[in-house]
Amino acid sequence: MLKMENVSKIYRTELVETHALRKVDLHIKRGEFVSVTGPSGSGKTTFLNLAGALETFEEGDYFLDGQNVKGLSDDKLSEIRNQKIGFIFQSFNLLPDLPIFDNVDVPLRYRGMSAKERKERIEHALETVGLASRMKHLPTQLSGGQQQRVAIARAIAGDPLFLLADEPTGNLDSLMAQQVMELLEDINSKGTTIIMVTHDDQLARRAHRNIQIFDGQVSDIERAVADDVVRSA
Amino acid sequence: MDIKPIFLSMKKNKFMAILMIVQIAFTMGVLSSSVLVATATLSEWNKASGIPHEDIIRISPEFFDETQDVGQALVKDLDRVRSVPNVVSIAPSNAVPFTAENMINVYLTNAEDAQEYKTVVVETDENIFDVLQLSLIEGRQFTASDVIKGSTETTPQNAPEVMISQEMARILFDDQSAIGQTIWLAKNADPVKVMGIYSNFMTGERLNGRGKSYQSIIRPQVKWSQNQEPHYLIRVEQGTGTALLEDILDVFYQEQGRYINSSELLKRTQKRMYDGRGSRALTMLVISVVLLVITGFGMTGLTAFQVTQKRKQIGTRRALGAKKSDIMRYFLTENSILTLIGLLIGVLVTFAITFEASEQAGQNFLNVGVILATALVMWLINILAVWFPAKRAANIEPAIVTRSA
Amino acid sequence: MFSYNLHLAIKSLKDKPSLTFLTVLAIALGLGLYTTVATMSYQGSQVPLAHKSKNIFLVQMDSREITADPVEHQARLVDTTYKDTINLMAMNLSGVKQTFNWSTYGILNVEDENITPLRTTAAVTSSNFFTMFEPPFLYGNGWDKKVEDSGEAVIVISKLMNDKLFGGENSVGKTVRINTHVLKVIGVLDTWNLTRKFYDRSYRSASPDNFFIPYTFAMENNLPRRAGFDCWAANADIARSFRNENLDRLMNSECAWVTFWAEIPDEQIENYNQQLVNYIDSQKSLGRFPRETLTFLTNLNDQLLFINGRNQFIKVFSMLATLFFAVCILNAVSILLAKFMRRTKEVSLRRALGAKKKTIIAQHVIEVMIIGIIGGVVGIVISYFGLQGMMNIQIYASDYTTRLEDIEPLFQLNLVMIGKAFATGTVCTLIASIYPIWRICNVPPASQLKAQ
Repeated sequence: MLKMENVSKIYRTELVETHALRKVDLHIKRGEFVSVTGPSGSGKTTFLNLAGALETFEEGDYFLDGQNVKGLSDDKLSEIRNQKIGFIFQSFNLLPDLPIFDNVDVPLRYRGMSAKERKERIEHALETVGLASRMKHLPTQLSGGQQQRVAIARAIAGDPLFLLADEPTGNLDSLMAQQVMELLEDINSKGTTIIMVTHDDQLARRAHRNIQIFDGQVSDIERAVADDVVRSA
Repeated sequence: MDIKPIFLSMKKNKFMAILMIVQIAFTMGVLSSSVLVATATLSEWNKASGIPHEDIIRISPEFFDETQDVGQALVKDLDRVRSVPNVVSIAPSNAVPFTAENMINVYLTNAEDAQEYKTVVVETDENIFDVLQLSLIEGRQFTASDVIKGSTETTPQNAPEVMISQEMARILFDDQSAIGQTIWLAKNADPVKVMGIYSNFMTGERLNGRGKSYQSIIRPQVKWSQNQEPHYLIRVEQGTGTALLEDILDVFYQEQGRYINSSELLKRTQKRMYDGRGSRALTMLVISVVLLVITGFGMTGLTAFQVTQKRKQIGTRRALGAKKSDIMRYFLTENSILTLIGLLIGVLVTFAITFEASEQAGQNFLNVGVILATALVMWLINILAVWFPAKRAANIEPAIVTRSA
Repeated sequence: MFSYNLHLAIKSLKDKPSLTFLTVLAIALGLGLYTTVATMSYQGSQVPLAHKSKNIFLVQMDSREITADPVEHQARLVDTTYKDTINLMAMNLSGVKQTFNWSTYGILNVEDENITPLRTTAAVTSSNFFTMFEPPFLYGNGWDKKVEDSGEAVIVISKLMNDKLFGGENSVGKTVRINTHVLKVIGVLDTWNLTRKFYDRSYRSASPDNFFIPYTFAMENNLPRRAGFDCWAANADIARSFRNENLDRLMNSECAWVTFWAEIPDEQIENYNQQLVNYIDSQKSLGRFPRETLTFLTNLNDQLLFINGRNQFIKVFSMLATLFFAVCILNAVSILLAKFMRRTKEVSLRRALGAKKKTIIAQHVIEVMIIGIIGGVVGIVISYFGLQGMMNIQIYASDYTTRLEDIEPLFQLNLVMIGKAFATGTVCTLIASIYPIWRICNVPPASQLKAQ
């Protein structure tokens, strides 16, 4: 479903050329739950941005469901983000002025769906995360954990190809973190692909597969051999 | 287009929204009021004169020595001026174009309640047609033999036939022919007959202000008294006016005991007729435009500020699939709604100001078309003012969502 | 603490100079225009002879015929007849001075043929004119009652006439001709800046008379009378002729054309009015004053109040200037908001490090006051140029017939206006800053400082 071949991201300034990602090869299949780890400055965030089509890249190819994302126009990338990717952010990033219902509505609006279809999807998504009763509330009236669950509802409402989570439990206490992880595992068990970036090794182990990024390069580790760090040249 | 988030956002930032609305309302009020007053003031402004005013000199003499014979001086004046090179034609007249202020009422019947028509009666001789270059439209043009000349004491009778301007004919007689018709130049005076129609020329501020600029009557007579000398209108060869002014003045001063009240090209007289109103209207317009510019910058600043406050939200929306054009449309729409509300209130402010100004001036300034046009211009300027910050907002990279909290 | 806050305020002003500049500009522009209009309005509404204006009265009596329309306001009532003028002048109340005047015109000329004659308007009046209305003299003085009674040919000329006819020298004793009459100069007036020429009821600005002659001479020599003659039916038809002829008939008629003034001390006002009523009664027995007794004593203050209430341009202009100012202040609010909110991180840090809300407020109030003061100063400079501009526009609009010296006082910034401008600028800036300061000082401590 998601294939990166030889992808490199280079930041160029007048003085310095930084290779944030170096010749990354990656293949993620449908239904996988993949965690991405690495120390700060390793290129995790860059990987996140590229995977989420939030940034463009210079070298290599990135295939989403067979479509090459490289070189696409900004409008086309927006479309892809809208339809194929479901984002979950560390700081929830809900729109503070809008009630929960409308927050979940945002990506659906950009798709131009009918009001009836949107309503159905929103209600379903909120039920899945267990917050259907709080539809009219504002984000500020919810706890951190609840806000993140709304964000998850927003991410799944449009039936994306995969969910892309950036430190989804980073701003939550252990109880809420647990709830959120269980929710994600539940969603994954129903067939949704999830890519989760985290610095928490414990959380990383809950995924099927762990990808490590170090100095802009990726190494793939199966869960079984998580304790051995193999560094590719 | 999803309006709800815009309204919710406005509700949350009530102060900013109100700030914008009030700014727009006030600016609209000031701008459209000024434009209204200016258009009303300038509507009768700078109209066609109907005469070659750049080549006509007016001289207004006055004798302070009462022993001088005005009648004789008149004859000598005319002779002397005619012999000045480049002088084409000279006519004595009791009124000067652009300053013909002796507005009177004329009537079509002698009845008590006869309708009054405003006009100015110019008493002059047959040379006036050459001086002012008026053309004969219909009927007959009077000649020297028609002109009654004399002092008010010795010659009490008045000319029984007159000519009227084309506009006057239209006002008095509509489609009918004016030739041979009778009109009364005063309620209890003897009636006169219309012998001909001449082409229009600009009378003066009083008639112009009433939208009756070209209503005039020419009566073939030249009367004078010790205290009342006629003006002289002198047409000169094209372009020689300025140079000749001194020479002609000298000619008039050859007569002793005399003072020249006014000597100028009609071009200057015309300028004076229009200047006063023009400069006031212009001042208000200039101020209003400055205000518009200030408000425009204010809008740009306010919107830029809001964009910086909403960076994260914009980034989030982009990440969720909003295109650049969606972001732009968001800000333009939000601004348009605020502008619309501001303009509506502004129209009310305009009504208030215009009402006050109309009361004071005794003139109705209200013109809905102008108000709507001004509103449209303001709306466009606002869109322009908001364009750049909106563009900047659209260019916020979606990648900021993955950065710090 | 204050000096630290001052230091912070100054640093902040220098931080993003473009925003500081814009704020100052917004305030200065609005204030500049507002002060320009306010000054024009203030100067234009100054009452002439302010030190005695409440005791200078226009005297009016309704001497019209019985068929005339009733009159409610003194501005609509006619002037005084010649007969009544002479009779009233004979009235002698202690402390009361009276005078009267009408306008004339003539061509002033001198013997020297190289100096072109000048046609100008002038006032015909009595000796008390100079003591009551106090025009400033450069040389010489006015005439007294004795000279006036003798009918002597004397004249007081203006500085303008003196400059043009005599090159500005002391011309007292020299002769001048009006048309063909020869008169002796006994006084030269300095530039007389009356906000409004009240004595002829025209209330015009910047159009001073250029000479003054005794009424005895004017009557004796039948100098033209520039007046409207409000006559009874008997003389209605020939009213216009009274300008130049039929003087005897005019003197004996019921035509009203002379403007009559009295300077009455407070304690005599009642008395004076009573005298007027008595006079009218006595005339009624002679068949005059057929209407119900009606007198008006209107002092200069009331007259100016009425006239100024009808100045349409200034009113509308003032409205516009106020709105303009309001918009500028609103702009200042937005700019200040943008300016302050850029520093939420710094403020939240300071609050975390122990700064009280009061200190944050103080720091920003100082910053705002500096902006207000600078804005005030620049605003005053702008209003100076604004006034110069408006003055030149007026001169242009009058086709350069209005003189700079006559019109200057109407566009003069004085200390009162400057003080007001300053105060307004500072106060309005402070008001504009209320919301932005409220927003900035409510930033929670350390809220902007999450580590990431």
